[in-house]
Amino acid sequence: MGMEQVVLLPAIPAAIFVVLALFSPLLPRRGDWLAVVGMAVVVVLALAVAFHFQDFFGHGEFDPSGENARAFEWLNLSNGLFQIDLSTYVDAITVVMLLVVSIVALMVMIYSVGYMRGEARYGWYFGALSFFTASMLLLVTAGNLMVLYFAWEAVGLASFLLIGFYWERRSAAEAAKKAFITTRIGDVGLLIGIILLWREAGTFDIQQIIEFAEGGGFDQRYLTVAMLFLFMGAVGKSAQFPLHVWLPDAMEGPTPVSALIHAATMVVAGVYLVARMLPVFDVVLVARDVVLYTGLITAFMAATMGLVASDIKRVLAYSTVSQLGFMFVALGLGSPTAAMFHLFTHAFFKALLFLGSGSVIHATHQQEIEQLGGLWRKQPLTTWTFVIGSLALAGVIPLAGFWSKDEILHAANHNLPVFVTLAVTAGLTAIYTTRLVLLTFFGEPRNHHAYEHAHESPPIMTLPLLVLAALAAVAGFVIYEGVGQALGFAGGIGQLIFAHEPEVFHFDRDLATFALAVSLGGIGIGLVYWWGTAERATRARGWAPELHALLVNRYYFDDLYQSLINYVVLGAGSVIAVFDKRVVNETGVDGGAQTVGWFGLRLKFLQTGRIPNYALAMAGGIVTLSLVAFYTS
Amino acid sequence: MIPLENFLVLSAILFALGFYGVLARRSAILILIAVELMLAAVSINMVAFAAYLDPTRFTGIIFAIFVITVAAAEVGLALGIVLRLFRERASANVDEANSLKW
Repeated sequence: MGMEQVVLLPAIPAAIFVVLALFSPLLPRRGDWLAVVGMAVVVVLALAVAFHFQDFFGHGEFDPSGENARAFEWLNLSNGLFQIDLSTYVDAITVVMLLVVSIVALMVMIYSVGYMRGEARYGWYFGALSFFTASMLLLVTAGNLMVLYFAWEAVGLASFLLIGFYWERRSAAEAAKKAFITTRIGDVGLLIGIILLWREAGTFDIQQIIEFAEGGGFDQRYLTVAMLFLFMGAVGKSAQFPLHVWLPDAMEGPTPVSALIHAATMVVAGVYLVARMLPVFDVVLVARDVVLYTGLITAFMAATMGLVASDIKRVLAYSTVSQLGFMFVALGLGSPTAAMFHLFTHAFFKALLFLGSGSVIHATHQQEIEQLGGLWRKQPLTTWTFVIGSLALAGVIPLAGFWSKDEILHAANHNLPVFVTLAVTAGLTAIYTTRLVLLTFFGEPRNHHAYEHAHESPPIMTLPLLVLAALAAVAGFVIYEGVGQALGFAGGIGQLIFAHEPEVFHFDRDLATFALAVSLGGIGIGLVYWWGTAERATRARGWAPELHALLVNRYYFDDLYQSLINYVVLGAGSVIAVFDKRVVNETGVDGGAQTVGWFGLRLKFLQTGRIPNYALAMAGGIVTLSLVAFYTS
Repeated sequence: MIPLENFLVLSAILFALGFYGVLARRSAILILIAVELMLAAVSINMVAFAAYLDPTRFTGIIFAIFVITVAAAEVGLALGIVLRLFRERASANVDEANSLKW
């Protein structure tokens, strides 16, 4: 498969979306098989792209800056002054994203066949998933900021549709709205950033912008502002502080959707964007520092909130926010390899955890971990795959999360405050993960009704769990050269990302030991507090009730935003409403109508109905016109 | 040969008479007749100009024939309207036909 056909990747699910949206009631099984088969084809094609990529790389013919296949010119105003090409761009970052998106999407779709069975709008669900996948694949293959922006908005729309899938439930509709509006705030920044870059560079092509920036074409201060605006988009989409509030609420959507969109793919679009533009961020280090500290604050805050969340999916949502923070820290430290590697491993184990929680919810119809417990006897497969995912998340050797977290810590080696914060956050990660596993699957069942009815999920749901568990266990090894090469990643993932300056992986024993100690320490603390009936954890709450309240109330961010909306937005709105009522409506619209009416009432008497009057007026008009014509010619 | 001005003066007088008739008369029939006078005045003008200024071609004369044709059609139509009016109101006085107003 040639690079020119990369555009097929988004085109296949897009076509399936159209078919499902229009004809799903007519198809057998409402067309779910179509989505699954289409996705399998995309996985094969993505692997083909990866291997093709290696071919070029292996023979030394590969252009390290990637292959740019220009599809066609879409818009060209003023002779190239404003030109948008529908172009694709494939480099190592794209390959990683293609593999992650297609594999996780396939697993989620297979799982959904079991999870969503019997739902109303079953066909539409698969259509929307296909739409999302198409948009996401377009986003990662876009060679042009405008195409990227289009796909960016399309994944936002898909996210909105799928969070609000159960729109009959008010909370789901509200969550969808919240997610859309919050990310939209970031998207406005992204658009402004793109326009600012275009204004100076005169092109939307990402590689040309990077060359322009590296050649010093931008004014430093101007570029800083532009990149910060661009980063705003990433902050919104990847749920970073202070726009992180939407992701926990997005858990209102069906659980497989949370796994695909709100854990593995869409939320990492921000990481992808920053990684893609990182050469430009390298030019303005102030902007890169903003990325670093935003990620750091988010990682820590979200981990602390994850400690007290009581909903199984919300714990995972905070964990996702926190791990995304890790990726931004890596980017801020200038290590796209670590960020993309963590993105790669995180996608697998977090999708696994979400699908596992979906299996629990499917069996018990309970999401509150206070109502669960003891499920390991009823759901052995779910439990053990979940444990594997959790250990990967906590960073236990040799599971995937260990390797990637280690890389990020390695990148932070020379920055002590950042390193310490990351280590503490990694410890917190291990603690909340242990808590989640213990409360959900071990101990004594707290809600006997839910426990009695629990059962293992059907094979169609456990199969994706097993595949993802295997990936979560071994995905980290691609960092080793030999493994990476065998899988199509020439020279391990380190060389994959930046072919022109390969970062060869060294196993740093001291750092690895330290990281493992932090993880095991966190797990130990978790075991001490939550093992059995978890009475120690309950007692611990009494030590600092204010702190507990602060965390449970999510640092009062939602309340802050709600009061901002109540007082500032609605307040300004009521002032504007008065202006609209008095000035626009009464003076402008009604005023115009009243003026016309007033004149009409008086002028209507000109219409006498007497023929001689009309004749006279006509004659007068003709005479006047004749005189005018005579004297002016 | 009779100078062109004579024709023009005659035409102007006829036109003014017709104009006055249209404005001053009350009877619909008389207004129609006045309109015919105006048309006749215009026709005279055209024929005169044609004969004096461009005798080799017949543009003006043909136009005069057109005017006569149109006038005939117009009278046919207008008389029909006047007839209906008279049947409705037992009068052809245009002052009374004033209901089409505010």
